[in-house]
Amino acid sequence: MRLLAVTVSLGAALLVMATAPSYAAGGDAIFKKSCASCHYTDGPAKEKTISDQLAKKGPELFYAGSKFKKDWLAAWLQNPKPIRPMKYNSLSEVNKGDHPKMSAGDAAAVTDFLMGLTSPEVKAGVIKPAESAQAKAIFGKKMPCTGCHEYSVKGEVHGGKSGPSLVGAGKRLNPDWVYAYLANIKVFKPVRDMPDFASVLNPKDLENVAAYIATFE
Amino acid sequence: MSRFVIVTAMALGLALGVVGSAQAADSKQVFDFYCAQCHGVNGDGKGINVTKDFATDPRNFTVTADMEKRSDEDIRGVIKDGGPSISKSPLMPPWGATLSAAEVDGLLAYIRTMCKCKGK
Repeated sequence: MRLLAVTVSLGAALLVMATAPSYAAGGDAIFKKSCASCHYTDGPAKEKTISDQLAKKGPELFYAGSKFKKDWLAAWLQNPKPIRPMKYNSLSEVNKGDHPKMSAGDAAAVTDFLMGLTSPEVKAGVIKPAESAQAKAIFGKKMPCTGCHEYSVKGEVHGGKSGPSLVGAGKRLNPDWVYAYLANIKVFKPVRDMPDFASVLNPKDLENVAAYIATFE
Repeated sequence: MSRFVIVTAMALGLALGVVGSAQAADSKQVFDFYCAQCHGVNGDGKGINVTKDFATDPRNFTVTADMEKRSDEDIRGVIKDGGPSISKSPLMPPWGATLSAAEVDGLLAYIRTMCKCKGK
């Protein structure tokens, strides 16, 4: 009798496991299975050397919830168009746009998981989108972000190719994160090919640049 | 005794050679990571950021005649403080808060191998 009960409950458990739809899985489980081979989510930043950075197949995501806008992230995971002109960590291979796609259900679950990964370095609700003469001068000429980042002028793409594109950055990036990144870049990326602009620009300038990037279409 | 001195000297020379080439390899990695995006892996000024929008020509480190006019101190300074420190383009950004003094020295030495020149 006891054997029967054990067999039945074991059978029921197996049935539940076999029929459980994949979208019911938590975003963290989907991430672990589908994304964790290229992206790490357990901060703080692990890289200490250039070799550490070059060994990574994709960007670290331990502060994804502070960096990205939720609606953009959920849509991008279903239709991942290239953000970087070049393949990650490469100056010779272009980005083929071969990031895996997710179903709407999986994308929603993974988005929920990633949006929970926030950084204490990012103060929420401080930077609002705004154009300013100071920011335009810094972005284009004084400390030209344009040298390494693409941006759009009336739908036409200009700028350099080594960094992630800033076309559509207003929809993609949380301006509070952009400010925090400019102000304290080493916390997010200790080893990166972008200079530390907080060493040469004052906090107000960095705020203005973050606010300006938040207007980018 | 003399044999011991010779062997010791050879071992020391070998060790120094290994250290030297390891430093050169490190400097190439530093150059490729930070500098090649604009100056090109070969140092010819043809990095991937140099599009029609790029407002200046990044320095071509392989032109001996240009590079021998630049002192070591100028090159260290421009790496650390950016182009405007020697009245050149701000498209060369300041790397002083990113690179160590040893990395800057390594880059200087690596760039001097590209121009096959010494600074005046």
